[in-house]
Amino acid sequence: MEKILGKKQIDDWIAALSEWEILAPSVEDGIWAYRALSGAVRLDHSNTTQPPKGLSFPQREVFFSFEQIKGEPPRLTQKMPTATRRAVFGVRPCDGAGAVRMDMVFSDHVADPYYQTRRKNLAYVGLACNKPQGSNCFCLSVGGSPVATEGMDVLMTDLGDRYYVSAVTETGKALMAAAAKLFAAPTSVDKKLVERTHADAVAQPQRAVKNVDAVPAKLKASFKSPLWEELARACIGCGVCTFLCPTCHCFDINDESTGASPVKGNRVRTWDNCQFPDFTMHTSGHNPRESLGSRLRQRVSHKFQYFQENFGMPQCTGCGRCISECSVGIDIITTVNKVTEHAG
Amino acid sequence: MINIQDMRDTARDLLTKNEVRAVIGYRRSSSGMNAEPVVITTPEQADELVWDPTCFHNLSLYLVEDRKFLAHTRNNPGRPIAIVAKGCDARAIVVLMQEHYFKREEVYIIGMSCEGSGVLVERKLAANGIQATNASFDGDDYVFTTAQGEKRLPAREIMADRCLECRIPYPREHNVVLGEDKTGRELAEPFAALKRFEERDAGERWIFWERQFDRCIRCFACRSVCPMCYCEECVVDSISFPVNAQTTAEEKANRVRWIERSAVRSENITYHLTRAMHLAGRCIDCNECERVCPVNIPLRLLNNKMEREAREQFGYEPGASIGAPALVASFLDNDPEKFIR
Repeated sequence: MEKILGKKQIDDWIAALSEWEILAPSVEDGIWAYRALSGAVRLDHSNTTQPPKGLSFPQREVFFSFEQIKGEPPRLTQKMPTATRRAVFGVRPCDGAGAVRMDMVFSDHVADPYYQTRRKNLAYVGLACNKPQGSNCFCLSVGGSPVATEGMDVLMTDLGDRYYVSAVTETGKALMAAAAKLFAAPTSVDKKLVERTHADAVAQPQRAVKNVDAVPAKLKASFKSPLWEELARACIGCGVCTFLCPTCHCFDINDESTGASPVKGNRVRTWDNCQFPDFTMHTSGHNPRESLGSRLRQRVSHKFQYFQENFGMPQCTGCGRCISECSVGIDIITTVNKVTEHAG
Repeated sequence: MINIQDMRDTARDLLTKNEVRAVIGYRRSSSGMNAEPVVITTPEQADELVWDPTCFHNLSLYLVEDRKFLAHTRNNPGRPIAIVAKGCDARAIVVLMQEHYFKREEVYIIGMSCEGSGVLVERKLAANGIQATNASFDGDDYVFTTAQGEKRLPAREIMADRCLECRIPYPREHNVVLGEDKTGRELAEPFAALKRFEERDAGERWIFWERQFDRCIRCFACRSVCPMCYCEECVVDSISFPVNAQTTAEEKANRVRWIERSAVRSENITYHLTRAMHLAGRCIDCNECERVCPVNIPLRLLNNKMEREAREQFGYEPGASIGAPALVASFLDNDPEKFIR
């Protein structure tokens, strides 16, 4: 289903989605993020500081609470997320691609019920990037596109005074059907214009990971390369790159106490981070990834080799956040290119 | 005005004569306008070095890293390591020496006077709609190279608050120094940002901080970038529990965790306030913690508050002199509290 929506009508469309909680990009305290919509929707964002990943994979997820009264069996109460239907407006194609990868991870072998409950109630209304959102965009070189529909339920393309709106999934069709009267059939002029807009978008110059198909084998051959330590020389070992990544999904599980008598608390999943020193700490005290170089290697190899081996595509979607937000200039594009070049 | 070539010549000379084993400095990054830290070890690399208003980083962090590496590998390199240091960075180096982290002769300080400038703030620049590939300072303005050609902005408009408020934009502690000493320059009143904030009432301030800490994602960039956060074991890491072959599973499970992994208000506040307390009398206001925060938490307000307390209560200025004792390791004869005397 492909339709035209006047820009002024977008708020009417949102108003018609009364069964949905609406999230859209907004700026607060200088930070762009997907927040519950209040007032008119704004889609003039470049990209949000954090991807929408946290909506299906929150930084903190309580699995169950527990209580142990002496002499009684422990009581466990599962805490499933509430099944609120949420529509997220303005998702960029790199983050849609990120959602596809997250879906693979959380349905592989075991379907994660917490992730799935949130995800199946989440609809992404994407916005194509007519031009790169930042100087470190590189989606084209990792198999993505600034106009890609993967992971989206709807993709909108800005045509100046109107949006070209394409339903990608059944959910997307239902979202559009909720306000069918607002949408018009595209004319042949609209169709030509969206084609040209998409062609222009794809033709915009971007930075690039060189020859991404050859990267996995070259990374595999570079496991012991001294380059890793050299490239990680300035790394401070913080968690910015992975906590802002649309596809990083590592987590830790802890019991957090809320009372001692009786013993009670929550079993909690929180994001974990391969750049932290305790990420690979063994119970023996031995740490196989003590150096910053080995941790950079892990992050890069997971994105471009291990994920490729497991799921047949690079995990990185080229959003560029880990580059732009790194305080010391660690650059995943340069890193991959240098290591693979060195591998010959 | 500093001639960049002088800094490069200094670094090249030191490496050629083998007087230092490496130079920690700045080079252009591969991903945009900013400089990035670099450690060079050969004279040829000296030409990579840059000096401009994006040299934000407090490179003394890498002296700490170097020290840790040497301790870990039980290496005694003999020769010092050189470092390019602004006034604030040099004060951080002095604090580290006050705390006996390394000795004076182990470091060769290439001091850089900020003169009339300072570092810019990327968010202030973005608010002006400028996407630049290069930044420089011409004595009054910051000059940017953009896709639309050269753009200029008065330096004061986008300079970091901490630079505007800086009293001593000059590295007093140095082996060699480039640029003039402009100590006493006043672009803004010291603690001006803090003073403005404190005009709000307590209830309003608490609501403000709740909102700030609620969005912390606990990436620990603020801790990781801080040269004073050199503890081998940090209170927030689960490795701070010492484990050996005799440690039982129960002991591991029941270890004390001061701060849980959950990024929730109580834990976030405990983390940030613990860090602020540990920086009292040590923080020299390089404000790297605030710069690197991906969610824009105004950490400088916390650190400035502690700095001003130390100054007003004890006349203490961190990083003023290597021979001076650390704030928490000293007392004043006229301290009003009897227990201390």
